Amino acid sequence: MTKKAARVKTPDNILMALQEAQARSGPLTPEVMAGLAASLGVPSNDVYGVASFYSFLSIRPLGRNVIRVCQSLPCHLKEGQAVIDAIRKALGVGPGRTTEDSRFTFELVNCIGLCDGAPAMLINHDVHTDLTPGKIAGILQKYK
Amino acid sequence: MGNISLTLNGTPVSAPQGMTILEVARENGIDIPTMCYLKDLAPVGACRLCVVEVEGSRTLVGSCHTPVTPGMVIQTHSPKVLEVRRVLIELMMASHPDTCIVCEAANCCELRLRATDLEVGMPRFRTRMHYFPVEDENPSIIRDMSKCILCRRCVAACDNIEGKKMFSLAYRGFETKVIYDLDKPIGSNETCRDCKTCITLCPTGALRLPMKFGQEKKGPVLYVKG
Amino acid sequence: MPQEKVVLRNCGAIDPADIKTHRAREGFKALEKARGMTPEEVISEIKTSGLRGRGGAGFPCGIKWEGARNSPGDEKYVIGNADEGEVGTFKDRYIIQNDPFSLVEGLAIAGYAVGARQGYIYLRWEYSYLLDLLRGAIDQARAAGYLDGFRIEVRQGAGAYVCGEESALMESVEGKRGEARYRPPFPTVAGLFQKPTTINNVETLMNVAPIVLKGGAWYAGMGTERSRGTKVFSVSGDVARPGVYEMVLGSPLRELVEGLAGAKDIKMIQIGGATGRIIPYDQIDAPLAFESYLGAGAITVYNRSRGVLEIVGRTMEFLAEESCGKCTPCRQGTEWLVETLDRFRRGEGAARDIGYMQVLADTMALSSLCGLGQAACSGLVDTLKYFRDDYDRGISGK
Repeated sequence: MTKKAARVKTPDNILMALQEAQARSGPLTPEVMAGLAASLGVPSNDVYGVASFYSFLSIRPLGRNVIRVCQSLPCHLKEGQAVIDAIRKALGVGPGRTTEDSRFTFELVNCIGLCDGAPAMLINHDVHTDLTPGKIAGILQKYK
Repeated sequence: MGNISLTLNGTPVSAPQGMTILEVARENGIDIPTMCYLKDLAPVGACRLCVVEVEGSRTLVGSCHTPVTPGMVIQTHSPKVLEVRRVLIELMMASHPDTCIVCEAANCCELRLRATDLEVGMPRFRTRMHYFPVEDENPSIIRDMSKCILCRRCVAACDNIEGKKMFSLAYRGFETKVIYDLDKPIGSNETCRDCKTCITLCPTGALRLPMKFGQEKKGPVLYVKG
Repeated sequence: MPQEKVVLRNCGAIDPADIKTHRAREGFKALEKARGMTPEEVISEIKTSGLRGRGGAGFPCGIKWEGARNSPGDEKYVIGNADEGEVGTFKDRYIIQNDPFSLVEGLAIAGYAVGARQGYIYLRWEYSYLLDLLRGAIDQARAAGYLDGFRIEVRQGAGAYVCGEESALMESVEGKRGEARYRPPFPTVAGLFQKPTTINNVETLMNVAPIVLKGGAWYAGMGTERSRGTKVFSVSGDVARPGVYEMVLGSPLRELVEGLAGAKDIKMIQIGGATGRIIPYDQIDAPLAFESYLGAGAITVYNRSRGVLEIVGRTMEFLAEESCGKCTPCRQGTEWLVETLDRFRRGEGAARDIGYMQVLADTMALSSLCGLGQAACSGLVDTLKYFRDDYDRGISGK
């Protein structure tokens, strides 16, 4: 396959370096960011500036699974709030928090482009649409 | 490059191609207020205070980064432009603390000066404020980011004049902040040395020299017009 | 007027993971035809078609390509913008899910016309699950020899609505914070890495192959004076059948919302997402076109049970969160509007703030650095005009 050759890394691309680091070893800790800065030859403040700009780069610790529930209007109109409440109840923590056992981080995000299946959410990279409070427990069960 | 003709506030003027509207205006004795602009450095275009009216343009244009073109018709102080600038100053003041009375920069505060020039009255737009602890451990600089209006002069200066790149923008939207390192306060033994470049350029009291108690306030007393 | 499928011609008819099924439906025929023409002839055909950008701004595609073609420089770039983040838009997701090959073909034709050897597709992070399908389509096209001399790289976003704005998108591809740039210089002159660059929405590129195959005049035969061809709409909200619909431009809004999507008891419709317009039900017979309302084709329908202030307030919260924070009017203005609308929603608004909102809306539209800030108050201004009573009821003591 020519797949490898196609993914040539631009050496000074801070965003790509951060994305790769997060995919490889999880949230961007100060150590990870400082290490990246050193290897890219850029100031640590520049790395932090990029990392803190993007919603899906995480400079805070995350759980093993990240639940991202859409809070935008098309989902809100389809009883998205009831789904959010159901997840809060199931996890015991509210949006912006991670469960004590680090199994889940629960986040509210802006429109994820699944409005035809509203209300919708992403867990890690998986799509879950047409949610109801009743479906939540069954879905969460699959993520350990 | 040759000269081009344009109309500035109703007067025909000639200017070298490649010059910005701001440069042409200043050369012709017209004062357009700026905040993020620093002479000789690349324009930033962030503060929007230097916007002017250009015939045929749907929006106002930033004069610090827009080059003049042949036949351009520019208004730098139309009622529309002045009202927009007034609102922009009010927006910069919207989250700025009301501590001018005790602020060291009060007499030479550019934000206050511009507000006075533009006859900004009671601010219509107030938002929540940013509360950041004052960073006062470094012997060369004190940072009070709650006073910062995000003009980015310190970022540009440290990068382009001093070549140190100690500051960057972090976060986004209303949470945007000029940070040091991984958003840490500047400590006592950091790389910042006594160049004062960013402090001199800061338009507000966000950056200042560590001052001993009893030292005088800088600059002549600023009187508010009107 | 029923649906007319140009962009969605292959959706449901091919296997998006198998190039053979795409080729069986004239796939890559247009690319072969284009390479037998001069780049100028390709651009001329696009100009004849009247195709305008489908990402919201509506800039004529042929003129954009011509600008980049004529800009001096050996190194040029073409970018497919798959960062659709406008609230209520999901058409590009649907397109990539069902026909990634035509996107690759459209981008390759753009590359040929502009004179670029490198293309990028900027895919929003939220669509990570489409990454393998998209890369698979590129790999299959390359293996079949369609991409000789042209490389396509998929770049992922990282969760920032503003990166759908072309200047912020280029900053992001360069690995930086997705902050808007001032213009001029325009991307066609100094874009990605300061090289001449065109950025086209996914849907715009989907139109390219049919135009090359059937001719610009055929395409220009559909639609209205200033809106040629078809448009893909994403319909959501209070409708019986949310989904993706393609119609000839100029079709009445009523047919889309009531006819195809089955909406009832409509109070208002938001066209173009968070930066779009909000119109009352009595304008339901408006044509869907650049001349009236269009944006990127997000149609969110609200029934009579919905509150205006909640919709405008939530819209503003979205924009404030997604503002890049670079320019004063957008960064500070969206925050003040969020706080002010929140007071109105709680019934604690001040009467004078209604006037201030209008003043601020003007300033943001006139002085913001990019389209986000310039269009942030569209819905607010519309609802102040059409639903003023809702605001008055939010004033303290009323």
